[in-house]
Amino acid sequence: MPVKSSEITPEKVFKRRRTLIAAGLGVLAVPLLDRGYGLLQQKPDEVNEPFAPVSAQLGRQSQPLTPTPYETVTGYNNYYEFGYSKDDPAKAAKTLMTSPWSVEIGGEGANKPGFYDIEEIKGEHAIENHVYRFRCVEAWSMVIPWNGIKLSDIINAAQPNSKAKFVRFTTLNDAQQMPNADWAGGPYVEGLTIEEAMNPLTLLATGIYDQPLEQQNGAPIRLVVPWKYGFKYAKSIVKIELVEQMPQNTWWLQNKREYGFYANVNPRFDHPRWTQATERVIGELGRKPTLLYNGYADEVGHMYPDLDNRLYFY
Amino acid sequence: MGLPRISITTRKHLLNIGLCLVLIWGMFDAIKGPDLVSDLRDFTGRYGAYLLLISLLFTPLSQRFNWVKRNLSMRRNIGVWGFIYATMHLLIWITLEFYYDWQLMLDEIAGNLFILLGILAFILLTPLAITSNHRAVKYFGYRKWQLLHTLTYVAVAAVIVHHFMAQKTAMFEPLFMGSILVLLLFWRYRHAR
Repeated sequence: MPVKSSEITPEKVFKRRRTLIAAGLGVLAVPLLDRGYGLLQQKPDEVNEPFAPVSAQLGRQSQPLTPTPYETVTGYNNYYEFGYSKDDPAKAAKTLMTSPWSVEIGGEGANKPGFYDIEEIKGEHAIENHVYRFRCVEAWSMVIPWNGIKLSDIINAAQPNSKAKFVRFTTLNDAQQMPNADWAGGPYVEGLTIEEAMNPLTLLATGIYDQPLEQQNGAPIRLVVPWKYGFKYAKSIVKIELVEQMPQNTWWLQNKREYGFYANVNPRFDHPRWTQATERVIGELGRKPTLLYNGYADEVGHMYPDLDNRLYFY
Repeated sequence: MGLPRISITTRKHLLNIGLCLVLIWGMFDAIKGPDLVSDLRDFTGRYGAYLLLISLLFTPLSQRFNWVKRNLSMRRNIGVWGFIYATMHLLIWITLEFYYDWQLMLDEIAGNLFILLGILAFILLTPLAITSNHRAVKYFGYRKWQLLHTLTYVAVAAVIVHHFMAQKTAMFEPLFMGSILVLLLFWRYRHAR
């Protein structure tokens, strides 16, 4: 079929098109160059350098903490048993019955196992108030004023023996009360080393802002480990075991490449799909640099001998 | 009998007003929520992606359904609105999320493949949005214009991978979008000649 003269591109247009394509390719190259530039910047010697905070980080570490508003802390949650969206738990978790509630303390490492009522636990141990930074593995953060018991108090009461090398936390898994209870194919499990569990920063929280925990925040009792990513903070705990073997935590079982056991916050080790160098502070504009151990390096740094071992930082 | 006939021009106006209202509603809804930034960012990104996908669905569906065929020229409005939502998505990222911190944005792009893909999709969509008018069709000639606009498929593919990679879990939505795109490509392949 002969080509109609009207279909032939005039030379002028043709040339302009080339310029257009060249311009398009040029624009495309900009982010590629950025990426290349970013990769170049990660020289091995720089990566191996022990924690060298930029001035902004130092500034941030010494800044007073401004607690995130109560409505935000109770309205923006990850609690997959109640749905995958951030606003699902606040809507769906009201069906969770948190009273009566008992926590089983056991495992081969506990000489004094037993079942304890939540009110008993609250009554027997001192409730402390701690304002901690909270850093989610999804690269957002809050500041939360917790009320809670030192986990070490509970562990000491269970009289740990030499087999107590790790602590295993199991959370409630009840399809009657949780619409998405089966998302992980079983109860949510988390774990700590015994040393981490005994660290004075580690809490079993029972409240926020001097209010009893709301269901979406993990009522009636949840773990708080401020130097680790938020998924370590097991919610609505029903069992605490002192064990010899390293527990297989839920997120590690879900995706072994992306989530580990230690999950200590470190801006230099990225999640495979996103950077952990910065975080979005919920309720604020702009992003902030993320701090090593979420700003608690002085308190917890001694537990991890190797700052370059990814094992500790995902 | 039947509904009063509304001209295609009026229908398009109604569509434009509707999609504008959806955007405004999304903003008010986000202000009510606990986290304005992620609500606005995710709302515009999600619906922008759906609008682009819908614009691609017009061609195959118009061969099946008469009512789609009668509204075929709405395809352009929906595509352009998809671009407007994508622009809002990008502007929210620049302003609310990064607060004009360009250095931090560059670092973030360098460290996040999914952000790079999102920007790539936006760059691909920009000339398509600019040439979404009769003048441009005349200027390029229909065939060349059409060829240029097949880039939409590349852009939408980048958008879907962008969505997929940004999730911690709950991959249903990007997978759903992806399967629609695969079906579309399959249909295009079958009808290529």
